[in-house]
Amino acid sequence: MRVLTQSQLNEWLDDLATRLRLVAPVDVQGRLLYRPVRDHEAIAWGYERSDMSPKTWTFPATEAIVTIEQGSETQINDAPPPDPTVIFGVRPCDARAALAIDALFLEKEPRDGRYAELRDATTLIGLACPEMWDSCFCTVVGGLPNGTDGLDMLLTELEGREHGQSYAVQVLSAKGERLLAGVTVQDRDVALPEPKLTEGLPTLSPSSEWKAAFDDVYWQRLGDRCLACRACTFVCPTCRCFDVRDEVASRRPGHTVFERLRAWDACTSAPYRRIAGGHNPRPTPQSRLRNRFYCKFMYYPDDFGPLGCVGCGRCIDTCPVSIDILEVISDVARLAARESAEVRA
Amino acid sequence: MSSQQEQIREAARAYLEGGVVSVVIGYEHGPKGQVRPAFVYEAGDVDRLIWSRECNQNLTTYLHSFKHSPRRGAPVPRVAVVVRACDARAVNLLLHEQQIERDNIKVIGVVCGDREARGQERQACRYCQEREPVIYDTLVEPEAPVKLSETPDDYADILEMEEWAPQERLAYWLTEFDRCIRCYACRQACPGCYCFECVAEQVDPHWSSIAVELPEKFFFHVMRAFHLAGRCVGCDACEAVCPMDIPLSKLNRKLAKEVEDLFGYRTGDDPAALPPLATFNPEERLPL
Amino acid sequence: MASEKLFEPRIVGFLCNWCSYAGADLAGTSRTQYPPNVRIIRVPCSGRVDPLFVLKALQDGADGVMVLGCHPGDCHYQQGNYIAQRRYALMHRLLEFIGVESGRLYVDWVSASEGKKFAQIVTEFTEQVRALGPSAIRPRPAGVALAAGEVCA
Repeated sequence: MRVLTQSQLNEWLDDLATRLRLVAPVDVQGRLLYRPVRDHEAIAWGYERSDMSPKTWTFPATEAIVTIEQGSETQINDAPPPDPTVIFGVRPCDARAALAIDALFLEKEPRDGRYAELRDATTLIGLACPEMWDSCFCTVVGGLPNGTDGLDMLLTELEGREHGQSYAVQVLSAKGERLLAGVTVQDRDVALPEPKLTEGLPTLSPSSEWKAAFDDVYWQRLGDRCLACRACTFVCPTCRCFDVRDEVASRRPGHTVFERLRAWDACTSAPYRRIAGGHNPRPTPQSRLRNRFYCKFMYYPDDFGPLGCVGCGRCIDTCPVSIDILEVISDVARLAARESAEVRA
Repeated sequence: MSSQQEQIREAARAYLEGGVVSVVIGYEHGPKGQVRPAFVYEAGDVDRLIWSRECNQNLTTYLHSFKHSPRRGAPVPRVAVVVRACDARAVNLLLHEQQIERDNIKVIGVVCGDREARGQERQACRYCQEREPVIYDTLVEPEAPVKLSETPDDYADILEMEEWAPQERLAYWLTEFDRCIRCYACRQACPGCYCFECVAEQVDPHWSSIAVELPEKFFFHVMRAFHLAGRCVGCDACEAVCPMDIPLSKLNRKLAKEVEDLFGYRTGDDPAALPPLATFNPEERLPL
Repeated sequence: MASEKLFEPRIVGFLCNWCSYAGADLAGTSRTQYPPNVRIIRVPCSGRVDPLFVLKALQDGADGVMVLGCHPGDCHYQQGNYIAQRRYALMHRLLEFIGVESGRLYVDWVSASEGKKFAQIVTEFTEQVRALGPSAIRPRPAGVALAAGEVCA
């Protein structure tokens, strides 16, 4: 097994940072965010889960898809090619989330060219979780704390004093292999430590059971306290809805620059689905909240394949009114059981 | 004297059984013990309602969900809401601004002690001079007399910031707003923010770009603070719900300090007084 | 020979139609000179000027903003300027607190006959803002910051 000691890893990261954009978890005024770093010391080592996911580096919160300059001639400029980027310290859940977003933007027509460019330019180096933390539930949705899906490389901290602070390295793609080329690694005979899993988590109901529960009054009651903010959606690594606006970026005599901006949006907010004329098919927080859960556990998997949730638990920690997706999963299972019981009787 | 929790449940039961209201908005425990808003529709469910040190969300923001008739011909729903002293002033604000009718609400006003948020004492409680809500239909008395805090808000942290150079203050706010994700949780949690279409989201006229970038985030927070000048009740809901722990209430407290200084007004105290920016005084000459 | 190009502040002025705008017009017809840095936006009343406009002007690149209305008691709509007075007293203090020097906002009353006063206050305010330098609040450059990918989220 290839193994990197901490100091080898530090050296490698420092070198990467000189050659391309290195992004890693950083403490920003007490919040853990993925930001560019200049060296390994800027990284917030020893973190559990970041507050915002790394999704912004492949699906930015704001992006100028196209810039149009109107002067004596009109010039349309695509966004410039992205900088090669390495995101270090990606948790396995967030990597699975990237695959979930790929299912929409890459695998369905029309293909999102800009997203494809960013994904191609980005290499994901994962850091396995030694355990599942308080709000984690990746195992409920088909993931594992040391899962390799979607990663170009996975580092796992080795246990045991004899190893010192070091990491087993699993290279998972050609991109990962290229990145590691020329880096000094050790070769040790080690077994990968098994992560500690949380027990007693609910089972996710299949799409058909969600469908059956759609009209239950449960969703009205759950949505009563929803504030219709966008916090859960923005911290979520799989949510990918966006708004596009054409805006004037600058206006000078004879020269105007327009931007077509894409920015994150959320189905939970009131104006999201409001259409010209003012009609809103989902006018209440209850209907919008229900839509969010159904998108994750029924519509998205039905239409695109993967679930729209990777069990990271950020929404649970973020929701100001304690709307808990894990509770919802349990409740839907109970609703499903009740329905089946009635049918049997 | 029964506990405050019991009094709240009694009041809720009476209102629901008597058909006085169709829903009581209070607090309950979730399965993991966390305190969250509760909507009780049946008298038989009132035992869900709790009262503890952790009950510190401003429930008056939900009054906006019930202020319209649900469909043509139906009456506007009647709602009971559990309020702390600061929340009660928000009820007065909504009454002034004609968002709700006095007849459509029942205020269960709780004489509250210090509240806790994320394991720490709430800053706003440290300055609270009232404890007894200024408006109520049912007063939930404390079991033991509640101590008022020793000092009102002396705005010490704001006065200290006012000594800095402008560039230092700007740098401070830009650092804080940098991690804002423009989720609008602050706006949604605030009882004073109820515009059907916020200027931050309007397309026509186009006030602000949708970009989640520093100039736009700065604009949003400053603009929102100003739109709440003379209207903010200091419940700190905005700061409590912010996923990025941005000290939003500092901006609102600064304006509250200036409003007190210039107009001798505190939001929601006097049921008859209008917010200062909704009225004027022809004799007044202010420093400009 | 090194010549320092003077910083030319960009100033947006919200002038009420009935008094201050007429006063500015009088300055023009009287051929009273004043610096060209101010871009005037005519509004019906100083009370129409939402602090949002001031913020947006600053955000879009203005180095200074003026709000000029009728003298108290003379408002064409009776009370617009009293409300403006309250708003802008507060706005000064808020701007100062967020690090935008309150010297970048100038609020005053100019009557239709005060052409000279208008020219004088524009001249003084332009120098005041010039001394403060460019505003630190800059509009986001088109496409640039985003293309570099330095998004914050």
